Amino acid sequence: MDVTINGAPIYTIPIGPGIPISATIVSSWIVMLLITGLCIWLTHDLKVTNISKRQAAAEYLVNLATSFVRGNMGVRFDSFIPFVAALFSTSLVSNLLSLVGLWSPTADLSVEAAWAVMVFILITRAKIRSGGLGGYLKGFTEPIFVLTPFNILSEIATPISMACRHFGNILSGTVISALLYAALSLASHALFGLIPGAVGDLLSQIPFLSVGIPAFTGLYFDWFSGFMQAFIFCMLTTLYIANAAGEE
Amino acid sequence: MFQQLVTIVPWNFVAAICNLLIQMWLIKKFLFKPVQKVLAQRQQMADAQIADAEKARTEAEAMRTDYEQRLAEAKEEAAQLVQSATRTAQLRGEEIVRQAQADAASIKTKADADIAQQRKKAINEVKDEIGGIAMDIASKVVEREIDPKVHQDLIDEFIRNVGDAS
Repeated sequence: MDVTINGAPIYTIPIGPGIPISATIVSSWIVMLLITGLCIWLTHDLKVTNISKRQAAAEYLVNLATSFVRGNMGVRFDSFIPFVAALFSTSLVSNLLSLVGLWSPTADLSVEAAWAVMVFILITRAKIRSGGLGGYLKGFTEPIFVLTPFNILSEIATPISMACRHFGNILSGTVISALLYAALSLASHALFGLIPGAVGDLLSQIPFLSVGIPAFTGLYFDWFSGFMQAFIFCMLTTLYIANAAGEE
Repeated sequence: MFQQLVTIVPWNFVAAICNLLIQMWLIKKFLFKPVQKVLAQRQQMADAQIADAEKARTEAEAMRTDYEQRLAEAKEEAAQLVQSATRTAQLRGEEIVRQAQADAASIKTKADADIAQQRKKAINEVKDEIGGIAMDIASKVVEREIDPKVHQDLIDEFIRNVGDAS
């Protein structure tokens, strides 16, 4: 039995010669629709007093995002709250999208690389704002000039490590799921193949063992890991930017 | 057809950046703006209520002060009233006593005068009586009529002597 683990499927839109479109992009749109739909559903019919549970949830989310950003970055970075909230929700929903059998956009390194580059730009912008362009460039030669290449390397390592950490965790979950399904399917085949005759042949084709056990591993690899990676990515984003901006 | 497992596809990269920016805008517009608006309204309402409560408290405080002042005034007034009533009553009492004393004194004086007059009258009567008796006795002694008009001097002298003797 072969186990293949592929990248994002590429669909073809049947217009003219056929436009190729990656499952990553399709799934991203689904993620955006889900998040935006949730936001609109949560915030319709808002009231000042006597609020519904739905509104309480919306207010809780807003307060959570606000306190997360303020806790990690301080009050002066309030403009980052929507960015961090978007980053977290997109990452989380993307990670969890694999639960319903759709392609998870975060299983494509392009997406994490894009986010990491955006964070890198924000970090650099914060550094230049706090120390000026000269100060930013001078920072690479500290503490001594010889260390300049290493400083540049460490600067570039930040987005790469962020992207690869997130991607690696999601990919490893996918790989382990695929291996587990394959293994359970083989085990099922072997187990029910012991039954003699046509009944055994028929039953051995159905991977009975694949039902149940992956749900428990999925609890960790999909739910926990998906949540943790979104959280870690946002945590690092806020901390790096706040650190880059320095003290007030 | 599949992408490679670990690769960066330029179009996906660009799409991811655009998607994240759009997502950020959407979250801001559909979640943060409305919720923050409501939170601000609630804050405003709470502030207004606190201000109202503060105002009501100040008013109550002013009313209390006013009331206390009035109460103090009323008490003072009552005290004054009682004091003046007491003084009036005292004065009145004193006057009554004085009047009574004066009345008593005048009654006593009058009584004394009466007594003195009565006494004088009695003495005079007694004198006349004695004079008459003396005249009777004397007429018995001299065996003749003594005319009171003629012998007035004699009678008077006699009475004086009796008065001195008594």
